[in-house]
Amino acid sequence: MLLFIAKRLVQIIPVIFGVTLVVFLIMQMVPGDPAAILAGEGASQETIEQYREDLGLNRPVAEQYMSYVSNVFQGDLGNSLKNKQPVLDEILLRLPITMELAFYSILITIVLGLAAGIISAVKPYSIRDVSVMVVALLGISLPSFWLGLLLMYLFSVKLQWLPVAGWDGPLNIILPALTLGVGGAAIVARMTRSSMLDVIGQDYIRTARAKGLKEHFVIYKHALRNALIPVITVVGLQFGSLLGGTVLVESVFAINGLGRMIVDAIRTRDLPMVQGGVLVASLVFVFVNLLVDVLYRAVNKRIDLN
Amino acid sequence: MASKVTTAQTMELAKARQNTRRERWHSFRSVMTQNKAAMAGAIIIGIYLLMMLVAPIVAPYDPYDISLEDKLTPPSMEHWMGTDDKGRDILSRILYGSRLSIGVGFASVLFGAFFGITLGLVAGYYGKWIDTIISRLLDVMLAFPGILLALAIISALGPGLINVTIAVGVFSIPLFARIVRGSTMEVKKLEYIDAIRTLGANDFTIIFKHIFPNVLSPIIVQGSMRLATAILSAAGLSFLGLGAQPPSPEWGAMLSSGRDFLFSAPYMALFPGLMISILVLGFNLFGDGLRDALDPKLKK
Amino acid sequence: MNKEVVLQVKNLKTHFTTSKGTAKAVDGVDFTLHKGETLGIVGESGCGKSITSLSLLRLIPTPPGKIVEGEILLNNKDIVKMKEEELRKVRGNQISMIFQEPMTSLNPIIPVGEQIAETIRLHQRLPRKPAWQKAVDLLEMVGLPSPEKRAKQEPFQLSGGMRQRVMIAMALACTPEVLIADEPTTALDVTIQAQILELMKDLQKQIGMSIIFITHDLGVVSEVCDQVAVMYAGQIVEHRNAKDLFKTPLHPYTQGLLSSLPNIHENQQELQTIEGSVPSPYDYPVGCRFADRCPHAREICRAEAPDLLETNNAETKVRCFMHTEKWEVIEEKEELVCP
Repeated sequence: MLLFIAKRLVQIIPVIFGVTLVVFLIMQMVPGDPAAILAGEGASQETIEQYREDLGLNRPVAEQYMSYVSNVFQGDLGNSLKNKQPVLDEILLRLPITMELAFYSILITIVLGLAAGIISAVKPYSIRDVSVMVVALLGISLPSFWLGLLLMYLFSVKLQWLPVAGWDGPLNIILPALTLGVGGAAIVARMTRSSMLDVIGQDYIRTARAKGLKEHFVIYKHALRNALIPVITVVGLQFGSLLGGTVLVESVFAINGLGRMIVDAIRTRDLPMVQGGVLVASLVFVFVNLLVDVLYRAVNKRIDLN
Repeated sequence: MASKVTTAQTMELAKARQNTRRERWHSFRSVMTQNKAAMAGAIIIGIYLLMMLVAPIVAPYDPYDISLEDKLTPPSMEHWMGTDDKGRDILSRILYGSRLSIGVGFASVLFGAFFGITLGLVAGYYGKWIDTIISRLLDVMLAFPGILLALAIISALGPGLINVTIAVGVFSIPLFARIVRGSTMEVKKLEYIDAIRTLGANDFTIIFKHIFPNVLSPIIVQGSMRLATAILSAAGLSFLGLGAQPPSPEWGAMLSSGRDFLFSAPYMALFPGLMISILVLGFNLFGDGLRDALDPKLKK
Repeated sequence: MNKEVVLQVKNLKTHFTTSKGTAKAVDGVDFTLHKGETLGIVGESGCGKSITSLSLLRLIPTPPGKIVEGEILLNNKDIVKMKEEELRKVRGNQISMIFQEPMTSLNPIIPVGEQIAETIRLHQRLPRKPAWQKAVDLLEMVGLPSPEKRAKQEPFQLSGGMRQRVMIAMALACTPEVLIADEPTTALDVTIQAQILELMKDLQKQIGMSIIFITHDLGVVSEVCDQVAVMYAGQIVEHRNAKDLFKTPLHPYTQGLLSSLPNIHENQQELQTIEGSVPSPYDYPVGCRFADRCPHAREICRAEAPDLLETNNAETKVRCFMHTEKWEVIEEKEELVCP
């Protein structure tokens, strides 16, 4: 197991380099003089030249990339163009908020998704199954930003049970987490159902029944545990689109997380901020994927190291 | 003489492949028409496509016509979906907006499919180091969570609907490439491909004439699923103000302006969102049906 | 033989309802199983032998399958009429099963010892530790090397033969009265096959259970079975003592099956095959189901369905007009008609 983790860690190193390279190259695509953009609007020619010198923008691209990577690994993501503060400080302020939102959302995704999937699979093609699956289909079809507005209108404007926006208390978490988690829950539910149906048709389930086990033992001990294996992968992938989704949901509910920071930074053309935000979010995703892989292997020892 | 025999045999083999392809198409069509959900999806998509075509004819008002005295009127007989904060007719805007919202979706998927399929075919056909490089590149692209890669691209190119199309399209590239790569590697192993090669067909002919048609069905399934996501992503980016700019009637942008009037005029946000949801539902229904029809594993 | 009857099946019918109609997979099966006896049920694939075996423990997936008629009497209690709870006490306890595919019949993510122990805990109400110990003992009994270690392993770490041994240990955990073995050796190598058969014979002597052996392999039947029931198109066509059956098969179908076997003692020129194909279970002919493929078929065979009848020897049952008095009568008549 340790060997497996070590091997996976080694494997993600090129991915991390690749991610930094892509982020770096995207910023190279910016039309115009990067030094002029970084110096800010209305800067004098002298200041621009100063910037070019300081940031090494007159050096070859490969060299620039090397220094970018080495800066990144030292925790230097550059300074914001807006307030000249280190990007990392801002990110460290915002990241916990986004992670908290992501945590509750993925919790909803898993719990709601599994429950719905199992309910459906136990009695396939029943009215209960069909209605759960119809709701799941709606769940994957509703845009999160619209669902967020609908929930906000219903629970905050009409019923006034929950706060409209912001991030001040536990009540604030409910609507955004629900908005972000529901889509994933629908996907997990569909996956769980099809995986469960697949497993229930397997020979070893017949063996379990032939042994005289109670039906709920057959379902929960023998079927569910096998059915969960492919679901783990789906949950891992879901975490990725969930992280991306924070961008939208944080904007809908005016939450000052990492996603909103990136969007605001794009609007104000604060490139280092965008660069840093995208990089950090991607690294989080890479490590979550690693975690999922390890988990997958822990429950399914059959897969070999490759 | 010997080569003639091989030619005949190869032609036969190729023909047999084509025949099974035709058979598959027939069985596919019967499965699709029997699948009620897939039919419902196809009908929904059809209605939306029709809407794109006839928008100028059926739209009751000019979608850009500002009339401040009519602003924020709730749905009525004159304005079926009400008017927005500038007094523009929401129904007319939605009809015209269909061209933008659906068009961006299709354009971005075509963009992603073109590059993705090419990369996938090349990686799968040539293998070795070419495959390694392309596969690593795809891994890196997939390492970006959700629409963040699109955000990064937009931050470089600047906001706008065309840039959104490119950004969302880029995100589709690895998904197409992976599927095509896998299928290509499978098809490449088939005997008749070898036979064609010994007859002197060049790589280009083999890839596009013989391998590409065989990997088409997974591409179509992926395409219809991607359309749903692409339309959602593009609308989302416009919602964030990074895509279509006001006064464009793009649905995501309309939703975005509707958000500011959630208290006083909820219908402003209701209708554009509903339009997106139903369309995406249509694509999901259709995609589910396609997958069931084309995936031999699921056939009973 | 006046042995004690353990299991008696009367007019068992298991039908499947699908979009194509009703498939009569098992269509009126009768047999009696005595204590300590091994009954082989043989037939081509699709003849209903596996469905029969699954029906005995009501393991047919419902829908589409259903036992529509008949009785399965285990010590005079009808399994068909049992409530779920009662049925569960029979399954794995009084009657247990071994399946064809040892690869897929064991749960891939549960240690094999636990898969045995859970049956013991369930039926014998033993606590965890003694149940585990018993599972290890059972693995030793079925000849698994280093059972302590193996018990903790998952099925993928075991070879096919070892897995089938685990399946046997699992089936024998509660010393059942009846063991149903559905093609237990088909998926195994020939050498492993022989070992597993030997093991089953040994264990049968130790425990004194009865075995129902489902197989299409007549070679296996001749090795392990006392009685043989030959199935064709959802029915038993011949039920006899194994030795007699191999010596003088009565039913034309049995004769066909035996002559299609390669015989190492005689220098056969070519293997016989039975012409034609099995009738569809959706639509059986009115008369004898084998008539279309039978070299001896006459008019009556297509007009009337023969019953499974005892011949002059009470131990022998066969479903064929050839062995009834009717046959002679008809023969004379037909000869009169034909010039």
